[in-house]
Amino acid sequence: MTMSAPTPTLSVRDLRVCSPFTELLHGISFDIAAGERVGLIGESGSGKSLTATSVMGLLPETLTATGTVHLNGVADDLLTAPERRLNQLRGNSMAMVFQEPMTALNPLMRVGAQVAEIMTAHHTENGRRQARQRAVELLALVKLSNPAETALALPHQLSGGQRQRVMLAMAMANDPELLLCDEPTTALDVTVQAEVLKLIGNLVADRGTALLLITHDIAVVAEVCQRVLVMYQGEIVEDGPVGRVLTAPQHPYTQKLIAASDLSSVDDRGRLHTMPVIGIPRVADSRLSRVHTEVAAVPILPPHRAAHQRLEMGGPPVIFNEVAGAPTVSVRDLSRQYRRRGGGLFAPAPIVHGLRDVSFDIAEGQRFGIVGESGSGKSTLMRILCALDQPTSGTVDVLGQPIGGASERRLRDFRSRVQIVFQDPMGSLDPRMRVRDIVAEPLRHVGRAEALARVEAQLAAVGLDADVMHRYPHQFSGGQRQRISIARALITRPRVLVADEAVSALDVSVRAQVLNLLADLVDEYQLTLVFVSHDLAVIRHVCDTVAVISDGRIVECGPTADVYDSPLHPYTQQLVSATPSMDALARRSDTSSSSASRAP
Amino acid sequence: MVLVVLRRILVFATTVVVASIATFLMLSILPGNAARIALGVQATEADVAAQATAMGLDHPAVVRYLDWFGHVLIGDFGDSAVSRQPIGPEITDALGITVILVLTSVVLALLFAVPFGIITAVRQRRLDGAILSGISQIGVAVPGFLAGMLLVTVFAVTLRWLPAGGWVDPGDDFGEFLEHLILPAIALGSVQGAVLSRYVRSSVLEVSREDFIRTARAKGLGTGRALLRHGLRNAAVAVMTVLGLQIATLLVGAVVIERVFSIPGLGSLLLDKVALRDLPAVQGIVLVLVVFVLVLNFLVDLLFTVIDPRLRRAA
Repeated sequence: MTMSAPTPTLSVRDLRVCSPFTELLHGISFDIAAGERVGLIGESGSGKSLTATSVMGLLPETLTATGTVHLNGVADDLLTAPERRLNQLRGNSMAMVFQEPMTALNPLMRVGAQVAEIMTAHHTENGRRQARQRAVELLALVKLSNPAETALALPHQLSGGQRQRVMLAMAMANDPELLLCDEPTTALDVTVQAEVLKLIGNLVADRGTALLLITHDIAVVAEVCQRVLVMYQGEIVEDGPVGRVLTAPQHPYTQKLIAASDLSSVDDRGRLHTMPVIGIPRVADSRLSRVHTEVAAVPILPPHRAAHQRLEMGGPPVIFNEVAGAPTVSVRDLSRQYRRRGGGLFAPAPIVHGLRDVSFDIAEGQRFGIVGESGSGKSTLMRILCALDQPTSGTVDVLGQPIGGASERRLRDFRSRVQIVFQDPMGSLDPRMRVRDIVAEPLRHVGRAEALARVEAQLAAVGLDADVMHRYPHQFSGGQRQRISIARALITRPRVLVADEAVSALDVSVRAQVLNLLADLVDEYQLTLVFVSHDLAVIRHVCDTVAVISDGRIVECGPTADVYDSPLHPYTQQLVSATPSMDALARRSDTSSSSASRAP
Repeated sequence: MVLVVLRRILVFATTVVVASIATFLMLSILPGNAARIALGVQATEADVAAQATAMGLDHPAVVRYLDWFGHVLIGDFGDSAVSRQPIGPEITDALGITVILVLTSVVLALLFAVPFGIITAVRQRRLDGAILSGISQIGVAVPGFLAGMLLVTVFAVTLRWLPAGGWVDPGDDFGEFLEHLILPAIALGSVQGAVLSRYVRSSVLEVSREDFIRTARAKGLGTGRALLRHGLRNAAVAVMTVLGLQIATLLVGAVVIERVFSIPGLGSLLLDKVALRDLPAVQGIVLVLVVFVLVLNFLVDLLFTVIDPRLRRAA
């Protein structure tokens, strides 16, 4: 065997990216061999996307890159090559798929034309007509049904998964040597994500395209890649085969990252492994600075154990998790319909079913998870439970009070006893209010001094120092903001806490901290928790009972472990199999990477 | 697509009816007796009563409205309360002039605003972009009548290149017509052009930050080509919205500019008739102005559906 190593497809040496104020990438170097599938993993702000945009030469104007980037067969250094030369390479020798399928396509141009454009731009097809024809073939290649029809669609007529397939068709059109994918499936539902990842893996494997896949999700890397680069604060801290990195990570950061991602592994208190917080010194671990706050003693009921049931096709409506006595939440025959605007000039607006005949109970102290994909109706259900939306029919009782159709006046007391933590830690806090006013806002009939004292105690309870009170939301990280949201929710001493995708926007390490905090607080305040999420792993960790919702109906409900280990409904089975566990991933990537590993 | 147009026409027709009712009500609840105004202060009570009957003022308001609007629909605006002549021909003549003036100024404004806005957006970080942007900022601040007077001072009084005012019908002498049109059209269009160029600039800037422009660049299109092929149409949607909103302002501007340049358009006619307290004429002119604005808005709406295919589906 000759030892002359083949030239890598992509060779990055000492890449540094600087803003006018600071260095963001600190001299990273890596190679990608022809046909190799490499994952680039790290948390937000670690520099993953900067790496890819530097390679493509698409850095924002305010940033400058130094070092060298070489693409096989191209003499120029991509960082210094003139724009004209880069235009020839982009979309031809290297192509990129971006994160947001919703905004990455021109909304006013038919998708077929957008795919065709990349071929006419590089003269890889003769003439517009041929390019359009080829575009239809490409749409078929990415497994879009009715490719000819889809080519004539406008982006808004396609789903997120379909748009991402269009992006992929576009990227692969000129058979690039290198494909860069920046969080290509982050915005997609799990089942769609699994399909798109499989498609990416197959396409690059068939054509021998080198792949650089950027993601924050270790599971995604394990699904597609052979090798993984771990990025942390602008540096690559680990580089190795996926199986090895997953099972025996070398660098302390990787070890923590993997531990924090793994929601099935907990410490002896049943809490997740968290990462040491670096760069945000104000947040102490919630355990350390916890000030104990007195809570009125509530008699602890024997824990309610849900029955494991599923909805039969065409069968009678089921009352899931039925609780004898006085359930905290009781929902019966709940339906919610919307009228969609449109239709004919005089035809009635078509009706969209948000929820149909949903019935379930939640017992006091239960941790009830509601899991479903986008459009399933889980957000509608959450909004109705919080009396932010009205049911079309059916009844909803929370803490013994019917809330359907109740006036805002009558709901005042309800609002203080049922509180919500929203998904978006950026958008759900008023940017012009100070933290102390945000947290104090739900308090009524409380003097200023007492309110401030309570705010301080509440912030301490979520692990924030008292001096954060005078600052504004934009001065905090996502995890800190979510702590502020939790403090605001708990200050009225609610009985029920509703969390709507409360950790979906957070990095894994921060996610673990916030989940631990929630778990602690639920114990301490003896809350009934309703946790709405698309993420099965998170639900599994947090909740004792889970309801799976699909197409406006609860299709299955039961104790979390039972539902995950032996799902009854086909939809649940599909959902569970689309989210593999960490050890399954490690086992699988072991076999796949050993068969495809590079020669030493 | 047909359905969308039909729907827009229906909305247009309804708005015209509502506008006519509003116009009628506004002028009929104004103090003053139309019959007395027609006859003058020296007329006897009996003459006024006879005149009121002759003008149909003894009928209920609904009947009077239906009678008036019914005639308007067939182009009959009634007789002037002062000259006793039909108002219709006077309005149509003046309308023709105002339409020419307004449309020319819109075209001039667009011809200026689109390239100017794009240049200031693309070159925003350079000195020339910043200077041009400053110029348009000044343009926004200068009112139309002031621009008109400045133009007259420079081009008519000092340089004596163009006439200071008046109007020549295009049928009589086309060259003269253009000479008389150019200054008022520039005066009217300059403010609109400056405002529009600000909007063109900001929407081009906004669009150039969009993800799909980045996608286009990742495809290998250069910055300019990406913006031209993917950016402009998207930017146009925002600019059209502003243009539609500006049309009413443009007509108000036309009323003033016609005065400055002594052009016998609808604006001048309206001011004359208001001064004469010629209620039937004022009523007719106001309605025509309102309908003119609505027609232009209707055309803008149709243009929207041409630019943005998402709107072709009945939404």
